[in-house]
Amino acid sequence: MDKHLHFEDFAAGQVYSLGKHRISAEEIITFATEFDPQPQHLDPEAASASILRGLAASGWHLCALAMRMMVDGLFGRAASMGSPGVDEVQWRRPVYAGDTLQLDAEVLETRASSRADRGYIRFRFTMSRQRDNEQPERVMLFVSSVIMGREREKA
Amino acid sequence: MWFEDFPLGEKTVLGSYTFTEENILAFARKYDPQPFHTDKAAAEKSIYGGLIASGWHTAAVWMKLMIAQRRAAVAAGAQAVQDNFVSPGVREIKWLKPVRPGTTLTYVNESFAKLDWPTLPQFGLIEGRNEARDERGALYYSFINRVLIARRIVPG
Repeated sequence: MDKHLHFEDFAAGQVYSLGKHRISAEEIITFATEFDPQPQHLDPEAASASILRGLAASGWHLCALAMRMMVDGLFGRAASMGSPGVDEVQWRRPVYAGDTLQLDAEVLETRASSRADRGYIRFRFTMSRQRDNEQPERVMLFVSSVIMGREREKA
Repeated sequence: MWFEDFPLGEKTVLGSYTFTEENILAFARKYDPQPFHTDKAAAEKSIYGGLIASGWHTAAVWMKLMIAQRRAAVAAGAQAVQDNFVSPGVREIKWLKPVRPGTTLTYVNESFAKLDWPTLPQFGLIEGRNEARDERGALYYSFINRVLIARRIVPG
């Protein structure tokens, strides 16, 4: 069992690999049906005629999926207390049904809070697509601060 | 409607959504299973003092309301934009207040900028401010959306 991580355990330059996920057409359609019902996310035939040229995941789905991978890969064993926001999300490439996605988190900065029990960790999250015999391709990037509990209260 | 015709500075009410214990739990169990989103008892002991919605749930609802509003506007005779919405990303997502069960948020959009998008010159980029407020006007969520709209005339 990994150690439970706190603010003190994070330092700029660390990179955490948060796992892989193969996204299915069914998942893409389920998310899109509820939150982003546009043809390029719902209907393989209409999608192949769109500029995305195939059934592609909603960008918001990729954000939600990244969140799940963060919880499973890191925050589930860390004192995460949520996030005040995201600086910028870049959807760089369409993600298609059947793609295998990998998420990595790089610590950009750690910052104390005025509150003694927590601090902020600024991460860059990178979602990449891995295809056979090809270099990984970055499909989504975002930079976000996460509130992290301290193991010991700041004096 | 083409990029050239897209109006700036018009406030559009996208619609309202009520966050319930049921939809907060359903979203979070799937996409954001942290205890303050999925477990009432654990959430009460967290810094939030109770269950709150995942920020990505608040974010995804904007898209849902945006699509519904555009469809309703087109059905009522407004010009549809060319192609479907394609976005290269968003900026400045701010989760300003925890969204608790029973909160109804109304989302408002206002496009404010038109920019070139050199990697896809047949499109232009529209940026818009978006806010979600409760019935008393308290601001819970804001961000800047970015959407590519086809140009009538491709420059160059």
